[in-house]
Amino acid sequence: MSKENLKVSRFELLMDAGFGAQKAGDILIRAFAHMGKYVFIEPMIPAEISPPARSRPALSGVIVRTAEFDLKNIGNDTDLIIAQHEIVLDRRLDDEEYSPDCKILLDMGYKASNEDSYEQVCKRASKNGINVYPFELSAEAQMLIKALGGKGRNMYYLGMLSAIYCVPEEFMIDEITAIFGKRLAPEVYDKNIKIFHYGHEHASTNFQHSYEIAGKPSDDKDRILIDGNTALSLGLIDAGVKLLSGYPITPASSIMHTLAKVSPSYGGMVHQAEDEISAIGTALGSYFGGVPAATATSGPGLSLKQEFIGYAGVAEIPIIIIDVQRSGPSTGMPTKTEQSDLTAAIFGAHGDHTKIVIGVGNVLDCFYAPAFARYLTEKLRLPVFIMSDFIMANSYKVIEKPKTCELKDVDDIPDYILDHFWMDRLPDNIEMVRDIQANPGTPGQMRRVTGLNTDKSGSVNYFAKTNQRSHAVRNEKVHHVQRALRAPELFGGVEEGELLVVGWGTTRGSIAEAVHSCQDQGLKVGGMCFRVVYPLPLMLKEIFSKFKKVVTVEMAYGDEYKRTPLAMFLRSKTLVDIEPMVCRATGRPISPQTIENEIKEILK
Amino acid sequence: MSAQTEPLTVKDLNTESPRWCAGCGDFSIIMAVKRFMVDAQLTAHETVNVSGIGCSGRASFYIDTYGVHSIHGRAIPVAMGLALARPELNLFIHSGDGDAMSIGGCHLIHGVNKNFNCVFIMYDNELYALTKSQTSPTTRKGHKTNTQPAGSYLDPIHAVSLVLGIGGSFVASTADWMPDHLTNTLKAAFAHKGFSFVHVSQRCPHFDPNNFDHKTSSWFSFLEDDKGIAPDKRLVGKTEVVKHDPTNKEEAFKFASSERPYFGLFYVDPNKPRYDQILINQTKETPSQPIADLFKTFKI
Ligand code: SF4
Repeated sequence: MSKENLKVSRFELLMDAGFGAQKAGDILIRAFAHMGKYVFIEPMIPAEISPPARSRPALSGVIVRTAEFDLKNIGNDTDLIIAQHEIVLDRRLDDEEYSPDCKILLDMGYKASNEDSYEQVCKRASKNGINVYPFELSAEAQMLIKALGGKGRNMYYLGMLSAIYCVPEEFMIDEITAIFGKRLAPEVYDKNIKIFHYGHEHASTNFQHSYEIAGKPSDDKDRILIDGNTALSLGLIDAGVKLLSGYPITPASSIMHTLAKVSPSYGGMVHQAEDEISAIGTALGSYFGGVPAATATSGPGLSLKQEFIGYAGVAEIPIIIIDVQRSGPSTGMPTKTEQSDLTAAIFGAHGDHTKIVIGVGNVLDCFYAPAFARYLTEKLRLPVFIMSDFIMANSYKVIEKPKTCELKDVDDIPDYILDHFWMDRLPDNIEMVRDIQANPGTPGQMRRVTGLNTDKSGSVNYFAKTNQRSHAVRNEKVHHVQRALRAPELFGGVEEGELLVVGWGTTRGSIAEAVHSCQDQGLKVGGMCFRVVYPLPLMLKEIFSKFKKVVTVEMAYGDEYKRTPLAMFLRSKTLVDIEPMVCRATGRPISPQTIENEIKEILK
Repeated sequence: MSAQTEPLTVKDLNTESPRWCAGCGDFSIIMAVKRFMVDAQLTAHETVNVSGIGCSGRASFYIDTYGVHSIHGRAIPVAMGLALARPELNLFIHSGDGDAMSIGGCHLIHGVNKNFNCVFIMYDNELYALTKSQTSPTTRKGHKTNTQPAGSYLDPIHAVSLVLGIGGSFVASTADWMPDHLTNTLKAAFAHKGFSFVHVSQRCPHFDPNNFDHKTSSWFSFLEDDKGIAPDKRLVGKTEVVKHDPTNKEEAFKFASSERPYFGLFYVDPNKPRYDQILINQTKETPSQPIADLFKTFKI
C-alpha cells in the first residue's frame, strides 16, 4: 500500500438496506473521532423499511467526510466508494457526486449470476472516467458470513476501510466492542471480529492506495459525537421542555424516540398522539397549564397543524413547533432534504398571523434552539418554529460538549444563547392582547382563552377598534424581535464587495466553506446566513447595499419565473433585486464546490 | 394550591351573560355544571373547562373558572395536555355532536381509549346549530336541514353505543331538561377516575323546536341501580324505570341499541388503565439524572 497524506477526504459505503452499512459508518467515525480527526457523516436511508435486496430502492449507506480541520458540511464529491454490488452502485452513480479520480471498490460476490448487469455498470463507471477495483471476499470470510446467516459483510468492508484510511485495528476493535460487545453472543461477536480482520488484511495486501488524514488525538476538552435530531432532543431537555407531543413522521420521529428513552430521567415525557393535529393540541394544553411543551413534525404534519398554530397566536398560548423539513410538496421524498417549508412556516396559518421562525444550521444550533425558542414563545406568547431538515437531522458531527443552562424561568436565559442567535434581550413588559395570562391554579385570575377576537379583559368582542388593536399588539410582538435582532455574522468579516451570498438553516456550512474559499482566492465575496429567519433584522438593506449583487442559496425549487422562498421574502423586505444563485429541489445537499463554481460564474 | 376561603356559590361561577338563544338547553347544562361544582365545593381556580367550536363551544366562556375555547373538534387533545401537565386540576370538556363525533371523531375514539381523567359532556342537539342547521352525525333520518333539505339521508350514529364499543370506562346519558338527573350524572362522572362520557340530549328550540318533548316522559326510560344514577326525582312515577347493573356490558349494549331512549348509567369500569397515569407514573418512577450527564452516552 502506498500512503498518501490528505487534508480531507470523502468516502461512501453502499449496501442493501438491512446489512448494517450505517452501523459500520458509526463505528468508523467514532474511531476517527477518537484519533482526533474531524468527521461529518450523512446516512443514506431508504424511504421504505426493507426494499428487496439488489434493487435500486434498497440503497442504504453512509457518506463520511473526514478532515484534519473542523467540518461544517458533507462536502463535495466522493473520493472512494465501497459498493456491495453493482445495483446500489448504479443507483448512486445517478447522483453524480464523485470526484474525477474517484476509486470504486466493487464487491464481485454477486457477479456469477449477474454477469451482464455487472459489466454494464462497470462500463458506465469507466465511461465517466472512474476506476473500478473489483474484489471478492476471502473464502474464510465468506464461510463466516454464511455461518452468520448472511450477516457480517459490513464488518469486512469496515476492515477494508480501516486499512485504506490507516486506522489502527485496535482502535477499531475498541469501537466495535463498544457498539456490539454487550449485544452480541460471544461466538457471534468473535466471528464479526474475524471478518473485520479478514477485510483489513484483504485491503492491506490487495489495494494499492491508502490515505492518512492528520489528527490531534483528544485534547482535554470533552467532545461528543451527535446528530441534529439528538441535539434537538437533548436541547429540549436542557430548555426545561417537559412534554414532547408528536405523531410518527419521517424524519422527525427520532426526536420522539430519543426523548421517549431519555426524558423521563429529566422529569419529562413523550406523548404519541393519534394524529398530527392532536399532537399540537396536547402540547398547547400542557403549555396552557404552564408546563412547557413542544411538538415535532415534518412537512405534511406541518400542513395539518396550521389551524392550531394560528389559534395559539390568537389565544396567546406558547408553543414550540419543530419542523424537520423533507422533500415536498405532499408526501414528496420522505428521506430526502429540502428547505421549501419556509413559506408555510412564516405565512402558513390563515389570516394575518404572527410567529417567529428559527433555522438551525449545525448541531450546536440544534442544541441551543429549544432554550431560545422557549424564551421567545414565553416572552411573546406566539408560536415559535425551529426549522431543521432531513440532512441536519441525520448528519453526525463531532463537537465540543456544549454548555448546558437547565432553563427554568425564561428571564434567566443565559447571554450565550441570545448571542448565539444574534439577538438582544427582549423588553420586560411586552403588551399582550389580554391582560390576564395566569396559569390555572392562580386564584382570582381565571384566564379563559379563545380563537375569537377579544378585548383586553378577555371578553369576546367583534368591534372594529378592538380587532385592529389585537392585530397591532400581536404584530408589535414580532416587531420587538425585529428590533432586538443584531446583524447576522458576515463570513470572514467581509462587509462589502461584489457579491453577497445569503442563506438560512442547513446550507450554512456549505455557504461558509465556499465563501471562505473564494475570499482566500482574493474574490470580493461576502456570505451570511440567518439563524432567525422570521422576522428579519432591521439593518438588512444597509448590509445589502454594500455589495453590488445579493444572491441566495436554497434547497428549494426556483426558475426564471419562480423565486425561491428566501429570495422572495428578502426582496419584499429590502426591495433589493435578489436572485436565487443556487436553488435546487434534488433532495441532496448543496456542496461547497457547487456554490463556489456559481460565485465564480457570476464574478467572471 | 391555595384553598378557596369562602364557600363556592353558583353566583361565583357566573360570567357575562351567555349569548345563547332563549330556551336553549345549553343554559341548563352549564347550570348543572355550576350546581355540581357548588355541591362538591370544587375550587374554581383549580378547574378548567375546555371546549371545541359550536354553540356548545362557548360553554367554557360562561363558567368562571379557567377555560380553553379551542378549535373545532379538538377539545380532547387540549384537555389531554392539561391532564398530563396538571393532573390535580378538575377537568371538564364541552363538545357538541358535530364537534365530538364528526370533525373530532378521531379524538373521541382515542380520548376514550386513553381513558385520561376528565368529565366529557357531549351536548347532543342532533344538528349543527351555530352554522345554521346542517345535518350532523346524530341528526335523525328524515329531519330536514339546510344541507339535506329533503330530509337527512342516513340513520344517526348512536353516541352511547359508539363509546361503549370503543371501550368507554364510564358511559352515561341524560338530558338538559332534567336538572336533578343531569347534576347527579355529573357527580358520578366526576367521581369516576378516567374518561367519563356524559351524553346529554340537548334542546335547540331555534332550529329544531319539536325535537325532545320535554313536557312528557313516557317516550324514554331510566336505568337504575345502586351503582348507577338515581332516576330524576320529579319524573319518578311518570315513566318506566328499568333495573340495570352498570358493570354488565352486554346488557348495556342492548339498552343502547334499543329504539327507545334510556337515560342513566349504561356502563362503568373503574379498573380500565389510564394513559395519563401511566405516563405520569413512569416519569415519577424513573430515577432522575443530573443535566451534567446529558451527553454521557455521546462522549467520544
Ligand atoms: S341555535 Fe340552538 S343550540 Fe345554538 S344557542 Fe340557539 S337554541 Fe341553542
